[in-house]
Amino acid sequence: MTTTTIEHGGTLEPEGDGHGVVEGGGHHETRAQRHLKERIALWLLVGGDALFLLLELFTWFYLRALNTNGMWRGAACTKANACTDGLGNPITSEIPKAGITYTLVIAALTVVAALLVWWAEVSAQRQSPRRIISAGAGFALLTVLVAVVVQCYQFGQLPFTTIDGAYASSFIFFMGTTLAHLGLLVFILTGLWVRARRGKYDGGHWFQVGIIRFFTAWCAIVTCVLAATVILFA
Amino acid sequence: MTTAAAPALLEDTQLSSRAGGLYRHQNIVTGLIGGIGLGAIGWALSHQFLQGSNWGTDMVVTVTMAGWVIGLLLGIGAFNAPVLWMLGHDQTHEDELYLAGVGQGPRRYWKFCTDHKVVGVQYLIAVFTIFGVGGTLAMMIRTQLVSAHSSFLGANAYNAIVSVHGMAMIVATIIMVTGPFGNFIVPIMVGAKDMAFPRLNALSFWLLFAAVPPLLATFVLGGVDAGWTTYAPLSVQAPPAMDAFAITILTFAVSVTLSGINIIVTVLTMRAEGMTLNRLPIFTWGAVIGSALGLYAMPAFMVGMVMMITDRVTGTSFFVAAVGGSGWLWENIFWIMGHPEVYVILIPPVAAMLEVVSTFARKPIFAYKVTVGAFIAIIALSIMVWAHHMFTTGWAPDLNGPFMLTTELISIPTGIIFLCVIGTLWRGSIWTRLPMYWAYLFLWNFIIGGVTGIYLSDVPADNYFHGDMFVTAHFHYTLLGGAMIAAVAAFCYWFPKVSGRMLNERIGKVAFWMVAIGIQITYFGMFWEGFEGMPRRVAYYDPIFLHANQMATVGAYLLMAGFVVLLYAIIHSWVHGRPAPANPWHAKSLEWMVPTPVPLENFLVEPVVTADPYGYGEPEPAAPAAEPEREPVPVGSAETTAGEPV
Repeated sequence: MTTTTIEHGGTLEPEGDGHGVVEGGGHHETRAQRHLKERIALWLLVGGDALFLLLELFTWFYLRALNTNGMWRGAACTKANACTDGLGNPITSEIPKAGITYTLVIAALTVVAALLVWWAEVSAQRQSPRRIISAGAGFALLTVLVAVVVQCYQFGQLPFTTIDGAYASSFIFFMGTTLAHLGLLVFILTGLWVRARRGKYDGGHWFQVGIIRFFTAWCAIVTCVLAATVILFA
Repeated sequence: MTTAAAPALLEDTQLSSRAGGLYRHQNIVTGLIGGIGLGAIGWALSHQFLQGSNWGTDMVVTVTMAGWVIGLLLGIGAFNAPVLWMLGHDQTHEDELYLAGVGQGPRRYWKFCTDHKVVGVQYLIAVFTIFGVGGTLAMMIRTQLVSAHSSFLGANAYNAIVSVHGMAMIVATIIMVTGPFGNFIVPIMVGAKDMAFPRLNALSFWLLFAAVPPLLATFVLGGVDAGWTTYAPLSVQAPPAMDAFAITILTFAVSVTLSGINIIVTVLTMRAEGMTLNRLPIFTWGAVIGSALGLYAMPAFMVGMVMMITDRVTGTSFFVAAVGGSGWLWENIFWIMGHPEVYVILIPPVAAMLEVVSTFARKPIFAYKVTVGAFIAIIALSIMVWAHHMFTTGWAPDLNGPFMLTTELISIPTGIIFLCVIGTLWRGSIWTRLPMYWAYLFLWNFIIGGVTGIYLSDVPADNYFHGDMFVTAHFHYTLLGGAMIAAVAAFCYWFPKVSGRMLNERIGKVAFWMVAIGIQITYFGMFWEGFEGMPRRVAYYDPIFLHANQMATVGAYLLMAGFVVLLYAIIHSWVHGRPAPANPWHAKSLEWMVPTPVPLENFLVEPVVTADPYGYGEPEPAAPAAEPEREPVPVGSAETTAGEPV
C-alpha cells in the first residue's frame, strides 16, 4: 500500500461537491458524505428493529398456536369452567378480546405523522423550507403526541391486565413497542420542529429531514403491522 | 478558520477556555455520581410506591438498575449532544475537538471521548477487567470441583458463580476484538480519520461500562442460579439478581448494536481512495461480518430479556406454561441469538489472526476471496442452526434432521478458513515472533474444538453428550482455545501500535507455554469427565469423576497463572518497554504506515491505496511524508531489528 502527499491539517476542507462542509466528531466532511453515512446507519438500525419486530410477531403466533392451558385470550376459560394452574387452582375467568378502535387510531395517527413529514420534505424543495418544515414537523409532532395520549388511555381501558394469560401479555407487549416508537418520534420530531424554526434547514440543507422522514415512515409501518396482527389474528 | 492558520497537528490546537461547554465538567466521577444518584432515586421511589405489589422487589431492582444506567450516561455526558440537537443547537468545532480529547492528556481516558483510539484503549481495559472477573470466578468453580463434596462454595453460590462466569466471558469475548481493535485499528486500516459516528462510538463504550456493575450486583441480590442461558422457568423463579442480570444484557445488547452499526458504516463509507472491497484487509472484513451478525443476534437477546423482565416484574406469561406461556419460546429466542453469537465471537479474532499469519509468513492470504466468502457462508448458515441446542428438549423432533444437516454444513466454510490459514503458512518465510506462537496454538486448539463440535451436531451422539462436561470442554476449546487465543495473537501483533511500546517477548513466551499446556490439561480433563458421563453445572459429583476433575483443576490453575504472567508482560512493557517503531513487523497495511503514537486524525497525509495489503516481496512502501518530530516517533525501518526478514 502506498500513500500520496495530500496535505491535511485539520482545517475546513473545500466544498468538494457543492454541498458544504459539516462537523463530524471534530473532523470535517461534506454534507453528501454525512448524508450517506446517516442513511446507511438508519437502514442498519431499522434492520435491527425489524428483527425485534419479527421476533415479537413470532412470539404472538407461537403462543397463539400453542394456546397452552387455553390461555390465549382465555377463550376456553369461563367463569363456569375456569382454567387452572398446574396445582388445580383457578387462575382466570374469561378474558374479553381487546377493543381495536384505539389500536387503529394510533396506527392511523402515525401514518398521518409520516405523511406530514414526507409532505414537508417534498414541499420544502419548492417553497420556504423554514416555514414548511416547521409546519410539517409541528403538526406531525402534535399528531404523535395525540397518539401517545391514545396509547396511554388504551392501557387504562384494556379489559385485561398483564397477568391474564398469553394473549394479554402479547397484546400489552405490542402496546409497549408502539409506545417506545412513539416516544422516539416525539424526541426526533421536537428536534426537527425546533431546528426548522431556528433556520437550520435553510439553504437546501435538509438532508436530515429525509432521514427523519424515513424513520417516521418505519414507525408507521411498525404500528400498522402490530395493529394488523392484533386485529386479524386475535 | 483558514487553512493558513492551520497547526501542524490537530491535537496541538489551542482551545479556548469555553471549548467543550458542559463536557469540561464531566468525567467518570460525575458519571458515577449520576449513576449512583439516579439509581438511589429510583430505589427510593420504587421502594415507596411499588414495593407493595406482588412483584415489588423485582420492580425495585429493575428501576434501580435502569436508574444507574441512565444516570451514568447522563453524568458522563452521553446525552448532551442529543439534547442540544433537540433544542436546535450544534456543537462548535472547538467543542468537537475538546470531545476528541485535544489538550486533555491522559484525562481523556476517563471522559466521554470521541477519539476512536481512546475508545479502543478504554475497551481494551474493560475487556481485561471483565476477563479478570470471569477468570477469577472460573478458578472458584475449579476449586470447588477439586474434590467430590467440597464445601468451598456451597450449591447456591456455585450456581450463581457459574452463571456470572458464563455471562461475563460471553460479554468479554463478544467485544474482545471488535471493541479494542475494531475501534483502534479498523478506521486506520481503511484510511479513515475516525469512526463514522464518534459520539455513538463513545456511547457504545460507556453503555458497556454501565452494564458491568449490575452483573456484579447479582451476587448481593441472591445470585443468578439459572445458568448463563437463564432457561425459563428457572429464570422467572430466580431471585431479584435476575432483574439486574437482564438489565446488564439489555444494556450490553444496545452497546453491541450501536458499535456494530458504527463499524459497518465506517468501512462502507469512509475508506481511503483506492481502498476497494477487494483490497480491504481481511480483519476489516471480519469486523464488518461479525458486526453484521451481531445486528442479527442482539435484537433477539433484547426481545427475550424484555419478555423475561415483564414476566418477573409485571406478571406477564410469556415463559410460564401454567398461565399460557412456553419455556420453549425462551429456548428458541435465546438460541436464535445464541448460536450466531458464537460466530460474532469467533469471526473477528480469526480474521485478525489471519493478518498475523500473513504478516509473519510474508505471504498474501491464501485464497483471500474464498476466505471472505467462507465468512459470509458461516453467517448465512449460523442463523439456521439454533435448534441443535434443543435436540434433547423434545421441541419439534421432525426438525432434528434438518438442523443436524445445517449444523454439519457449517463445518465446511469453517474448514475452508482453516485451510486458508494453513495455505497462507505453506512455504512461507515464517518469522516466528510472539504473535505467531499464539496463532499456532489457535490452530491446534481450534481443530480439537471444531471436530468435537461435529459430534455434538449429530443427534444420536448429542443425546449421549448433551448436558455433560464433554460439551463444556468442546465450547471452551472453541471459544477460549480458539477465539480468545486468536485474540491474544492479534493483541500481541497490534500492541506496539496501540501502546507505542514493544511487548516483552521473553515473558510473553513463558506465558504462552503456561497457557498452551494449561488449556490441554484443563479441557482434556473435561473431555474425560464428559466421556464418563459427568453432568455440567453440578457442585458435587460422584467420586468416580474425581481424577478427571483434579486434572482439570490443576490445568486451570496453570492456565490462569499463564494469563497472569501475560498480564504482567503487558503492564511491564506498556510502562517500561522499548519504544516501538512505526512498523516493527514490516507489515503492509495502513495502520503500520502511520506514526506511533498515532496522531489525532491518524494520517498526516491522506492515503491513496494502490495495491492490496499483502504484497510481500514487493518494494517497501514509502514512509509517510511530512513526518513531524515527536517523541517517540521513530518511523520507518531505521529502528527495526537487524536481520528481520522483509
